[in-house]
Amino acid sequence: MSLLQNLDPTLAGSPARCECDCTPNAEPTVRPRHEVSETDEAWGLQVYLPGVAKDGLEFTAEDGQIVIRGRRDWKSPDGWTALYRESADAPYELVLRHDQTIDVEKIHAELKDGVLRVSLPKSAAVKPRQITVN
Amino acid sequence: MRSMIHYTNLGSRLLPAFGFADRSPIVRLEGDFGRWFETALAGLAAPACDNHFPVDVYEDKDNTYVRAELPGVNRDDIKVEMVDGFLTINASRKSQVAEGKGEESFSFCRSVSVPENVQSEKVGAAYENGVLTVTLPKQEETKPKKITVAVK
Repeated sequence: MSLLQNLDPTLAGSPARCECDCTPNAEPTVRPRHEVSETDEAWGLQVYLPGVAKDGLEFTAEDGQIVIRGRRDWKSPDGWTALYRESADAPYELVLRHDQTIDVEKIHAELKDGVLRVSLPKSAAVKPRQITVN
Repeated sequence: MRSMIHYTNLGSRLLPAFGFADRSPIVRLEGDFGRWFETALAGLAAPACDNHFPVDVYEDKDNTYVRAELPGVNRDDIKVEMVDGFLTINASRKSQVAEGKGEESFSFCRSVSVPENVQSEKVGAAYENGVLTVTLPKQEETKPKKITVAVK
């Protein structure tokens, strides 16, 4: 998850997306709002996915990228007419690249009230190490 | 709110030649954006709110529904009010910042104009997966009475 990519989301764009699923993405997706934080131990990722239930969420971490896809659980029932719309029906998709310094085995994710909180522990090699000087 | 300040500057709007001289293009552009937004959202957005959230309005034959995307908010921190034909939704989100840095709090509010024939006392709301659905029952239409007059 390079800093550059966080600053410019377009850098995380289509080339990476095509590699992961070989069929070109026909369906339009919405990039959800998200926040990235960092501690010595881990990266924290918070993704806002209003309307997504646990069943509609797909989370994959491979080849140095994290892919989060969320499908909205709710569909307007029959007989409902939309008078005014601001939200989109398209599924969410967030692709973030990282520099392989994440311990993929220890990723922990939790979805609550439309917010996905992910903890991405740093692999031992990149954690700051205190070195005692004799 | 800043855009309001530009509007009061009517002199420069009426006299473009002078307006160009004393206002930078960026400031003018900002004013134009503000005006577009205010026109587009007139009647839907109350000017007092800082943080907005997306709102959808639906209708079926019995109810009007307002759906608001409010992810990560506690149910206790959502307040829904009906005042003078406006539905106002207030919410605040508290999130834990990285350890030791304490809590961050954001507040959101939005007012939506709703039809007049709503039974205010029967308004209900449900929160699921970060989306608030407010149900506004319609008043039952007073049916026109049919009177048959017997002609003697």
